Amino acid sequence: MASFERASPALKEILLRIYRAEKPIEVDHHLYEFGSVEYHIKSSASAPQLTYLSISTPLLTQGVLLSYGLSPYTTQMVREISTDVLEIVEPATEGYQLTLRLDFSKIPRGKDSLKVITEVSSVQSIILSSQLKEMLQSVNSWDASQGMYKPIKLVYHPREPFYVIRQPHKIVAVFPMRFKDYSDVIIATSFFQELMDVGSSEKWAKAPPCNWSPIPPAELRGEPLEDLSTNGGFVSFDISSRHVEGKRLDKTVWSLLNFYAYVKHHVKCTRGFIQRRMRRRLESLVEVLQNSSLEDDRHIRKFQENAGWQYMKKLVKLSSKSKILKRSCRDFTRKIMRIRFRIKIHGFGRFRRRWLTMLKFSSSKGYTKLE
Amino acid sequence: MANTLRLYLTCIRNTLEAAMCLQNFPCQEVERHNKPEVELKTSPELLLNPVLICRNEAEKCLIETSINSLRISLKVKQADELENILTKKFLRFLSMRAEAFQVLRRKPVQGYDISFLITNYHCEEMQKQKLIDFIVQFMEDIDKEISELKMSVNTRGRLVATEFLKQFV
Repeated sequence: MASFERASPALKEILLRIYRAEKPIEVDHHLYEFGSVEYHIKSSASAPQLTYLSISTPLLTQGVLLSYGLSPYTTQMVREISTDVLEIVEPATEGYQLTLRLDFSKIPRGKDSLKVITEVSSVQSIILSSQLKEMLQSVNSWDASQGMYKPIKLVYHPREPFYVIRQPHKIVAVFPMRFKDYSDVIIATSFFQELMDVGSSEKWAKAPPCNWSPIPPAELRGEPLEDLSTNGGFVSFDISSRHVEGKRLDKTVWSLLNFYAYVKHHVKCTRGFIQRRMRRRLESLVEVLQNSSLEDDRHIRKFQENAGWQYMKKLVKLSSKSKILKRSCRDFTRKIMRIRFRIKIHGFGRFRRRWLTMLKFSSSKGYTKLE
Repeated sequence: MANTLRLYLTCIRNTLEAAMCLQNFPCQEVERHNKPEVELKTSPELLLNPVLICRNEAEKCLIETSINSLRISLKVKQADELENILTKKFLRFLSMRAEAFQVLRRKPVQGYDISFLITNYHCEEMQKQKLIDFIVQFMEDIDKEISELKMSVNTRGRLVATEFLKQFV
């Protein structure tokens, strides 16, 4: 169960495409989903209204149940999805546990069509939850003469079994938690402690009491050691009759079946959150260091710029006055020279500028000569 | 609590101000090589006495100085398992990106969580006071970040637990 939605998104899309097709189309899809779920959808152009849907899903094994396939309760729950549209084909296609014949002509038009197709797409979740529902529905019918019940081991995923133990007036669901990484164990453990804290508060008194312990609970004594060796401890929920009344039964069953996936999803999201936060913090820490190294340069540059600008400002302010002064001096000297030097040599000025001016000292390294 | 932290950081700051007197010193053993002597530790005459400043058993700072380099190693407090993994993850994350920090060492000294290596070149490029401010600020920021991370993880856990239990009600 990769997603927490009951309806398979891929199956829903294919069924909608077949339903909405304007012309009859040939369809023969094999669909594989996470959790070893396999679908086979077949529709032929010669009979466009009929579509065959075969499902293969790992059942909650209990030893006895598996050998007889789906229980009558499960087949009844599947029929109740839509009695008009859906019909169970006996026997099922080879390699599959269940084959359904869907009659699209009987699907009501409009918005209801989407609802019906969504319910058909959730057939796998209905099969899975019906088995657990059967067990939980008998919470009130516990017989005192039977004594202590042996824990029932339910295996959806080969490495993630969980136990259901019947007790007077309640059923206890125990989840042994295992994680690959040590940091996952710590994150999950903090989550379980929060779950216990929240569950024990008055506001959530109606929710099933939750308990976490690092060691196996007493009810699981006698179970094989390989099933009881965990690194994440054991989480148990006490399901009472209040949690299985009416519509709550469906929600309770779905929540219990998805508990492992829920925890793993939370751990994965937390790791992603930590990573994102570390990256953001890195940027801010590096910025501090960069500012510390560049700050002085900026100050010096600013000072120089400011000094240059102020100098320029001063120059601009004075230039008009100095220009006028210079111009008037130049004119005056020229007048004097004209009066004094009546003999003019053409080109002497150029000669003087080229050969008679003092050379300025310059260095490639930009040193200024000290006097 | 805040007082002891202030005293601890002030002590580290004063020690760094005294220790960060670095100068260029070419390697005595290999020609045309210039190595941080605090890392090699081949010439005892070039090394100063290391200073260990402990705030408590869990938090300490080791400052090792030589003529041309200075190594600062920090041990950050870790109160529980969650803080332990958060500290390890975060400091490893920073160490792997040591080139962004220039003065950070890729691998911490054994027995410590994170290490800095400051050479005379760093002192030439950056201001000494700013470097010391950065180290002290880094220590404060790490503590603050770990605490905030821990709080965020617990808050997320609480919200997720609430959402999970809502399905039963």
